[in-house]
Amino acid sequence: MSNVNINIDGKGLKVRDGTTILEAATSLGITIPTLCHIKGLIPTGVCRVCVVEVEGSRTLMGACHTPVSQGMVVHTQTPRVVAARRVIVELLLTAHTGDCVNDTNAENCALHNLASDYQVGAPRFNVRSPRFYPAEETNPYVVRNLSKCILCRKCVRACADIAHKNILSIGYRGFRSKVVTGFDEALNSEACRECGICIEHCPTGALSAAPGFKALKGGAVR
Amino acid sequence: MSAAAKETSSSIANRAELLPALKQELSKNSSLSRTVLASLADKTGIPLNEIYGVSTFYSYLPVVAAGKNIIRVCGCLPCDLKDAQGVIGSIKKELGIEPGQTTADGKFTLEMVGCIGACDQAPAMMINDTLYGNLTPTGIAEILKSFK
Amino acid sequence: MAEKRIVLGNCGVIDPQNIETYLAKGGFKAFIKARDKMKPQGIVEEIKKSGLTGRGGAGFPCGLKWELARNTKAKTKYLICNADEGEVGQFKDKYLLSNDPFTLIEGMLIAGLAIGAQQAYIYLRAEYHSIFNLLAEAVKQAKEKGFLKHTDILVFEGAGAYVCGEESALMNSIEGRRGESRYKPPYPPTSGLWDRPTIINNVETLMNIPHIINNGAAWFSAMGTRRSKGTKVFCVSGDVARPGIYELEIGSSLKELVVDLAGAAGIKAVQVGGSTGSIIPLRMIDTPLSQETCLGSGAVVVLNSDRDIIDIVHNDIRFLHEESCGKCTPCREGTEVMLEILGRLMRGDGEAGDINKLEDLARAMALASLCGLGQAAAVPVLDSLKYFRDEYNDLIDQSLFLRSYLGSESYKSEEVVI
Repeated sequence: MSNVNINIDGKGLKVRDGTTILEAATSLGITIPTLCHIKGLIPTGVCRVCVVEVEGSRTLMGACHTPVSQGMVVHTQTPRVVAARRVIVELLLTAHTGDCVNDTNAENCALHNLASDYQVGAPRFNVRSPRFYPAEETNPYVVRNLSKCILCRKCVRACADIAHKNILSIGYRGFRSKVVTGFDEALNSEACRECGICIEHCPTGALSAAPGFKALKGGAVR
Repeated sequence: MSAAAKETSSSIANRAELLPALKQELSKNSSLSRTVLASLADKTGIPLNEIYGVSTFYSYLPVVAAGKNIIRVCGCLPCDLKDAQGVIGSIKKELGIEPGQTTADGKFTLEMVGCIGACDQAPAMMINDTLYGNLTPTGIAEILKSFK
Repeated sequence: MAEKRIVLGNCGVIDPQNIETYLAKGGFKAFIKARDKMKPQGIVEEIKKSGLTGRGGAGFPCGLKWELARNTKAKTKYLICNADEGEVGQFKDKYLLSNDPFTLIEGMLIAGLAIGAQQAYIYLRAEYHSIFNLLAEAVKQAKEKGFLKHTDILVFEGAGAYVCGEESALMNSIEGRRGESRYKPPYPPTSGLWDRPTIINNVETLMNIPHIINNGAAWFSAMGTRRSKGTKVFCVSGDVARPGIYELEIGSSLKELVVDLAGAAGIKAVQVGGSTGSIIPLRMIDTPLSQETCLGSGAVVVLNSDRDIIDIVHNDIRFLHEESCGKCTPCREGTEVMLEILGRLMRGDGEAGDINKLEDLARAMALASLCGLGQAAAVPVLDSLKYFRDEYNDLIDQSLFLRSYLGSESYKSEEVVI
């Protein structure tokens, strides 16, 4: 494994070949926002919030999944990058239904915080019919409020790759995509009993602990 | 393990057989019901939610019951220019259903779909695997009647 | 310029169900030459020299792609023929497969030798199920002739998803997954199907290979333009007297194709490249069809002066919205929002900020989407705004007038259609 020389926001760095732009930036103390990233797991690159400018590339590249290469020059906060990020946040707010302002989870909402960081107010956009789902509150462990889901897939990956339970998947296609369990039923699995890893990773208020549910610290039963 | 497999770690060896297996189940049943998918999950070791997630992605793997014959009318640009809406209207006149609906006798389901590769014969539709192009109101009526 | 039927050469001439008719016309000579007289690296060099670029729409240099796969050290490599033709206005691959499956097979076998692929797939869209047996039979006949010793071919049917024409989604589909796009890098020639080096080529790209091996790279590169060599098979539909399939030397003008050959008159605009294709107004009808200007997959839809451009763009975005895999934010949400705006404009419910919204969305989608579907959704929107901005402004002005004239509340409840 060799090292490569790269440049991020004017700062030079020598890193192992195969390091991601996000990892390299972090080591330089440069913050790149993310919503779907789980440290230690293979990235999915779905939220697109971490996109950065890479010289020589026509499109922006996701920092969480793009490996560095010799001589790569990266800019993490160009006007194009900031504009794209703001539209992405605006789009996520548009699809969001549910009154987050009064939600006790709102301060912990990563989307809420990102919108605040990038000064994205109420979205200009509309959708024809929002992805509204009634709250699922009957499960003794996990309360699901899928109207607030931003389809970041962290719950799916945590359930599969950390807890090794594999009970969550993405169903349907396009705008109607949804996190599903079973045959798209209400969450009702004893697999959740001593877990709660999905709640830990959900960046919004879509997943929360049912009252009285105490997951083991660290998540999965090993 | 492929990068895609690593993404969700469902690295079941026979995953590659899933699409052909689903098609085979569909040929025996009118849709991929919960019972059918659950038994496939048991057989393959792939979780039901994963199989459901794969089926519901694809237009040709319906999880809800459909009619005996599936009419797919193309609504894309070249067919739209040649009055695909009129085709829908003719079918509605003959069968009384709109896109997304099935006739009461279960004979036909009507869907509006994307390009079916018959743009030089627009407007066009497929019924099951057969293509019908250069459609006219009388032609449509005859085609539908030919399905016993 | 007249048609130049090279790729289309055998269509209607040989019997697609009988390999003997293909052999009688010199079929498989190129494969035998490649197998017995050329080294794999030599085949790659010849294709590189020819300048052949992908015919599925992306236009990537074919030889370069093969070389990347050739140079990746791996025991197992794959070749995939992308027969998922789902692009709006495209029907050439169905015609080619139905009339001359053998040239495709020969091209695939040569590619297999060049890159060292033991297994190849023909990924056939589900909608083309009616030609599945014809293809499988053609493969069987080629196998019986002993041609499949180095590379086996399997016909794999899709399940109804336009996005599976995108190479990474296609690979996910073969792997038994949702047909969602993958991020790149890694690119398929280094890591593709089941992490192995994989080459994915369009039907038409592969059907050029035997001709290049038989006639030489110089013969091929003498045709076309600097960045796009050879001929291209075009599909013309829409407001034309003679819709159909035409093969022309690359660099021929759009006018030659749609007016001289397909008989278009009273043209307002032409969309070249499918649902994400460029919209070319009449005044640019002499534009040469090449990679330097506009080419895409070869789908050409002609629009006459009765057509409203926003109807066209709405139809394009409605299709892309339906077919978006839904994995990444800009495309999943962006296509829906674009559809909401375009739908309102068409219904006479436009707002002053609509154009800015469309432009901001288009720019973000073009820059940040995971794959070509989302990235190129911006093209018809931005092109139509560039060349037909007046139509948007007129619709918005009418909406604003009606709203102020009728009053916001009653206006909305009327669902006025302009």
